Amino acid sequence: MSTSIPQEGIKATDPLRPEPATVLEVITETANIRTLRLAFDDPALAESFSFLPGQIGQLSILGAGESTFALSSAPSRKGSFDFSVMRTGVVTSAIHELAAGDRVAVRAPMGCAFPTDDWKGRNIVLVSGGIGMAPLRSLLFYLLDHRDDYEDLTLVYGARTPDDLCFAQDRRDWEARTDLDFVATIDTTCSGWDGCVGLVPSVVEEKAPSPDNAVAVTCGPPIMIRYALQSLDKMGFREEQVYTTLERRMKCGIGLCGRCNLGPKYVCTDGPVFSLAELRELPDEL
Amino acid sequence: MSEHITKIREVLAETDMVLGWTASGAGGVAAPARFHTAEEAAAAVFDSTCVHNLAVHLPRLKGRTVGIVAKACDARSIIELIAEREIDREQVRIIAVNCPAVLDVKAIWSRYGYGARVEDDGSELRVNGEMVDRKTFVQAKCANCTESKFASASASERLKLSEDFKSMSVEERREFWRDQYGRCIRCHACREACPMCYCRDVCIMQTTDPHWTGGGIDAGEAEMMQLIRVNHLAGRCTACGECERACPVGIPLMLLMEEQNRAIKEMFDYRAGIDPEAKPPLLTFDIKGDAWGDA
Amino acid sequence: MRFISGENIPELLESFSAGGSVVWAPRELTGSGGTVLFERWQTGDPIDLEHFSSLSAKDVVLPRTEKLFGYTYAFGGGGLGTSGLGGPSVGGLGGALGGAPGEKLVIEPAPPEPPTVLFGARACDAKALNVLDALFNNPEGSGYKDPQYQSRRDALTVITLACTTCDEACFCSSFGSGNAEKAGSDIILYPADGGLLAEAVTKAGEALLAGPLFEETQMSPPPLAETTRIEGLESLEKKLPGIFDDMDFWQRISERCISCGFCTYGCPTCYCFNIHDEMKGDREGERQRTWDACMFALYTQETSGHNPRPTLAHRYRNRINHKFSYYPENQGMILCTGCGRCIRGCPAGLDIRDVLSEALKESSKEQ
Repeated sequence: MSTSIPQEGIKATDPLRPEPATVLEVITETANIRTLRLAFDDPALAESFSFLPGQIGQLSILGAGESTFALSSAPSRKGSFDFSVMRTGVVTSAIHELAAGDRVAVRAPMGCAFPTDDWKGRNIVLVSGGIGMAPLRSLLFYLLDHRDDYEDLTLVYGARTPDDLCFAQDRRDWEARTDLDFVATIDTTCSGWDGCVGLVPSVVEEKAPSPDNAVAVTCGPPIMIRYALQSLDKMGFREEQVYTTLERRMKCGIGLCGRCNLGPKYVCTDGPVFSLAELRELPDEL
Repeated sequence: MSEHITKIREVLAETDMVLGWTASGAGGVAAPARFHTAEEAAAAVFDSTCVHNLAVHLPRLKGRTVGIVAKACDARSIIELIAEREIDREQVRIIAVNCPAVLDVKAIWSRYGYGARVEDDGSELRVNGEMVDRKTFVQAKCANCTESKFASASASERLKLSEDFKSMSVEERREFWRDQYGRCIRCHACREACPMCYCRDVCIMQTTDPHWTGGGIDAGEAEMMQLIRVNHLAGRCTACGECERACPVGIPLMLLMEEQNRAIKEMFDYRAGIDPEAKPPLLTFDIKGDAWGDA
Repeated sequence: MRFISGENIPELLESFSAGGSVVWAPRELTGSGGTVLFERWQTGDPIDLEHFSSLSAKDVVLPRTEKLFGYTYAFGGGGLGTSGLGGPSVGGLGGALGGAPGEKLVIEPAPPEPPTVLFGARACDAKALNVLDALFNNPEGSGYKDPQYQSRRDALTVITLACTTCDEACFCSSFGSGNAEKAGSDIILYPADGGLLAEAVTKAGEALLAGPLFEETQMSPPPLAETTRIEGLESLEKKLPGIFDDMDFWQRISERCISCGFCTYGCPTCYCFNIHDEMKGDREGERQRTWDACMFALYTQETSGHNPRPTLAHRYRNRINHKFSYYPENQGMILCTGCGRCIRGCPAGLDIRDVLSEALKESSKEQ
């Protein structure tokens, strides 16, 4: 996959220096996931900033540190962008303390986007769980913005309980659409939920989207991905048809610090989007 | 040597592996090795170039039964690990050896070039075939050892430094350490070589939460890091000297440990690694009575 | 050939300092048991051109700690007019993070450093700079440049001392022209009677040698030392992937390693780095870049607790693969110049040459 050399928001002349940005809004998605809506302080940059779905960015709270997140908003929305963040460590805990008006800094976009041009005219099946929905949300917005370029769109999005599902407002919109087959599912029955119940991989198998002329994209907790890939394989999806995004500990995000490599490839620049066929060529170091 | 090999083979019969040495280092010096079979054990050696403390590998081998060739100083580390319950007494078989006092191989190679051939037949020491005075090259740590044949032979510069250091004033010591820490590169060789530093991945010198030391590689951070390490080893250091030997930039770390061990002996009449049943004083909390005053 | 007498060398270095350059030269550190390191040189400091340094000279392009930029949360203008929405500042370290309502975040890049003269490097150190250039100094349009590295590299003069002696740990002749390598140096010096012979490699070197401390000479340079040589290291690029999954091999080969990271820190080509923030007080701080080592357990540790390289054997496997397979594939050069520092300095007696020979043998077996 070719590396897209990023544009605005990350200086080619000083790629380790982030751009000051401000938190516009904080949306609490779940008990441990928040979405931050951000805008660059430089008005020209705020306007011109653009990215493609699948790309990532580095969000800094100067003093706490910097972490990598998928850009989770619609690429077509100008003036601001979203990171959806799960609280797991020092930096993400600091991020979860942020409120509107707080100052942060961002280096974005980085990494490879989903090859949406290659997917034109095909059926797209999105399979995600928990926070894994973040990059797929961006992708789904993109696909919906270019709806005529794609055939059937299917989304299976699951979490442990209804309270662990993100993007409540977006889910309502997606449910209402007739040009998207959307199923939200939770692991076990729960009072107050009358929707689908079942683990994401089983729900996908039940739905049984055809592998003909199709592409599957999966993102979520490692164990969900493992079983989802097994299901997709059982359903006849070949390795070139299945895509995922990888996570690694990252620092520079630009292929220099040597940390996030999978063999000779760097997850930050050659990924984070990889097809299964590409992963097969790389050493097994997941 | 064949007695040594026989012993290893005996122990191998009841263990998963034996940690020892082969003469596979540069210039024929000893290098650490693991023996899994009687055949592998045929290459086992023990001599004055067996400088490493193999006890450092024991915490990584939990759950296995391990034989280990140990000098008296190494055995102290093993005993302390047992006293702290880090390893299980039942899982270790110590193969004691008569150590003649180990050589400062680094100093030899510094003088004669890396890889110079070192041959010690137990009485004469030869480097590249020429006889050399053992006194200059016996490790300073061996000077106080009651077990080794050539302990009293040590007369190295490093030993002199220990003596000089004792008489330095506080200001002089401060200057001395400022100089030394300036070249610390925070490679953590001291920590990794120390058998008692088994915190490894959760070592407080590296955690970001709590953030005790900054990430910078400079004298200030190095000093903080070393002082933390020294303090965490209070009453636990068995004076094996590996920290200093491992240091790639020659910082005399044992000076700190010697001071502290002296203080622990004075205050608590305790030396680590002597009694596996001991309750190390700084790992013991006793509200009955005054541990500092009463016996 | 030019010649400089031994007693004029300090004056030569002095002339560099006077010209505004920072000079790095090797010297033995007092009370260090004979450790020789490249250090900043000041008038009066001794210079040791006889012994091999324990660490490489890579500090001149990749400092062990460097400030990437400073940041301040400060009052006074700017932003998108969102100060009215100012919420509580982020808690934690002093309450400054995120700034107080109305504060702006200002990021200041670190100032450029003065030019540097590296005096007394060896061929392996100079060649290492070329190897690093392949990643950090990419020509336009083919990947990222590292501006900090670049500005140091562009302002660096490399004066290399040719090796007329070597020791058992050296194996530079396994790579290209070994210690006869001139690329990467501006001047090559050769030990001679009473001083040093000097040969210019670049225009900058030529200009320096035209100075008054050098005189023309008919002396010819002495022969260079011959180091041990391992054949076939270029073939590892394609061969190593074949034994990647053989954990028994990697376990066995790394058995005596204690994971200390010295091999990485002493190596002239190891470049992996870490980035972190250091607060200085409540309202300002700096983002620093420091050396890091893939041999450390925490190197790839993820916050979830998962570590793709959980054991020493995994990390050692990555080290060898990075140097002899991945870097050659991506940058076209082996990430090693055979200087032998990792061998001399390893506290556990691990010799990378044994590892490489075993890897060559093992990987040829599989095929």
